Amino acid sequence: MASVKLKNIKKNYTKDVTVIKGVSLDIQDGEFVVFVGPSGCGKSTMLRMIAGLEDITEGELLIGDTIANDIHASKRGIAMVFQSYALYPHMTVAENMGFALKLAGIPKAEVEQRVKHAGEILQITHLLDRKPKALSGGQRQRVAIGRAIVREPKVFLFDEPLSNLDAALRLQMRVELSKLHQELKTTMIYVTHDQVEAMTLADRIVVFNAGVIQQLGSPLELYENPSNLFVAGFLGSPKMNLLDASVVSGDAKGATVRLPKGIAVKAAVDAGRAKANDRVTLGIRPEHIQLASEADQNAIPARVDLIEHLGDHVLAYIEIPGVNEIMSMKLPGHSTDLKYGDAIRVVFPEAECMLFDAEGLAFKRLR
Amino acid sequence: MSKKLTKVVELTGQYAGLIAFAIFTTFPFLWALSVALSEDPSNIWLFPRSFLPTDPGWAWFVRVFNEIQFMTYLKNSAWISLCTIVGTVLVSVLAGYPLARLRFPGRGLIFIAIIGTMMLPSEVAIIPNFVTLKHLGDWSTALLGFKLTGLNTYSGVFLPTVAGAFGIFLMKQAFEQIPQDLIDAARVDGAKELQILWRVMVPVSAPSIAALAIFTLVNAWNEFIWTGIVIQDKAMLPLSVGMFNDLTGPFAVSTSMVMAGIVLSVVPVLIFFALTQRYFISGLDGAVK
Ligand SMILES: Nc1ncnc2c1ncn2[C@@H]1O[C@H](COP(=O)(O)OP(=O)(O)OP(=O)(O)O)[C@@H](O)[C@H]1O
Ligand SMILES: [Mg+2]
Repeated sequence: MASVKLKNIKKNYTKDVTVIKGVSLDIQDGEFVVFVGPSGCGKSTMLRMIAGLEDITEGELLIGDTIANDIHASKRGIAMVFQSYALYPHMTVAENMGFALKLAGIPKAEVEQRVKHAGEILQITHLLDRKPKALSGGQRQRVAIGRAIVREPKVFLFDEPLSNLDAALRLQMRVELSKLHQELKTTMIYVTHDQVEAMTLADRIVVFNAGVIQQLGSPLELYENPSNLFVAGFLGSPKMNLLDASVVSGDAKGATVRLPKGIAVKAAVDAGRAKANDRVTLGIRPEHIQLASEADQNAIPARVDLIEHLGDHVLAYIEIPGVNEIMSMKLPGHSTDLKYGDAIRVVFPEAECMLFDAEGLAFKRLR
Repeated sequence: MSKKLTKVVELTGQYAGLIAFAIFTTFPFLWALSVALSEDPSNIWLFPRSFLPTDPGWAWFVRVFNEIQFMTYLKNSAWISLCTIVGTVLVSVLAGYPLARLRFPGRGLIFIAIIGTMMLPSEVAIIPNFVTLKHLGDWSTALLGFKLTGLNTYSGVFLPTVAGAFGIFLMKQAFEQIPQDLIDAARVDGAKELQILWRVMVPVSAPSIAALAIFTLVNAWNEFIWTGIVIQDKAMLPLSVGMFNDLTGPFAVSTSMVMAGIVLSVVPVLIFFALTQRYFISGLDGAVK
């Protein structure tokens, strides 16, 4: 087990294109860190640099207390699970899992015993004599994970390990990975672009975009206090509603902004640095929009565009006159008889509204 | 009904095509077999008749064993072919891997140069190779006191043929097919470059290696001109040269015996093919995804 420290890591594949533009990150021993970000933002590249499969162009990588920049992949004591599983097709499951141990010169009896133990953890003991081609996708994934755990590595790296599985299996494996982490307490770095995986698995999430860290923190922290528009839009499903607005007034105690057509909305943020008429973005999550009571003076009129019944909750897509975007709102399961075309009135609770400046940086929320 | 009919017509067509092709490619061998089995050679030059053995029997085969040193030639052929196969596979794997997987300056140029040698007929190399081999033999005798290689040695027969453009090309293609993740996985598992090559790349490329081995076997088994030039010692000759020398020429015994010899010399290759062909079908299944 070991911590992983990245100090101002940069990566160029070609001279003029910088893929990773200076990433610094401290990962504690035993922590489960998830890298998320859109496709092509450099998540796999980060992971491959930590594994030693790509050279680090600039910066320093520490695994434990040793500088690992120039240590060969085979000597880093790291295990990696690939998206494509990458099982050795000519070896049985047991041989696949024992390969690393065999290379390390560990006696046969111990290899067998450790493979068996890992097989028990992952419930694949009955598959040990099969070749990978005789396994289902989920079973192959287990073998790939088993191959990583038999080695008792210092750090686990996962590169989108569940993305080839169907939804049900993904859920099951997610739970198992979570259990596995609690059991082994090894440092794990996990790449995904599935935000549900990120939210459920991570101790801390690192949000990447275009080769830089956008924000880093616990799942809830990121969800509740996104530091910028990118993070706000990336986490949460359906996405946070983001509306163009302009500042009416703002100080350290709160802000009032105006949506097009003069609708005023209050947001509980520290808007000390905002000036009147600044262009800002108002953000509110779908679950926070409420239906207004008859008496409410500040309610915003809206029209229902589409209703989706998802069993436990209802998704309503609504249109506010003057606002271009269609907004989504999440309502409890059977509580509503809304239908297409209904005129409704909604409120944006002041405490739940977020505000982002013209550069996309969030104003600090007051809570 | 008409659907069934189309199906029948389709299948008949396919089988007819395949059978025609099979006849086309095997009929020289079938003729040789029929002639070798005919104890009475009087009909062998009559067209359709010759394909049915007259007086069938093993007499000519027995004579091959009795009158020429068939077993010696066979042993020599096997030994030369084995060395050629091992050498060719070794050279092709070791040359194909860096060409497919490593980045180094001049890689493209080297590959083009190797492929370029395919443009030249192999006969071009006979005289330079002969001269080189003679000198190598002389140096070997002078330096080591014995002939490590040189004229009239087996290494002289197979060494010039093991570094072939075809084999290198085939292995390069095979290694390029292997997913990068598989190599990365081995690397993370603690394998060094050579361990990756021998424990992952080579086993995974078994079908290509089997194909290369069979092509090499057929070529080495049938090789005639170069072997005939290098080997002077009759007891060291392989089947192709030895049998030709003994069974043809002014003192030739009979066509029937030549055919019996040919049939006998083809059989080992067929057996080898039967044993290795299962490797062609096992592929990369289950490696990734
Ligand atoms: N070997 C390479 N040579 C040149 N550019 C590369 C190479 N590998 C990746 N890149 C580039 O680096 C960038 C980051 O790639 P990377 O694979 O790390 O993305 P990712 O975040 O893992 O995306 P995804 O979620 O789709 O897997 C991409 O723009 C990609 O085109
Ligand atoms: Mg990736």
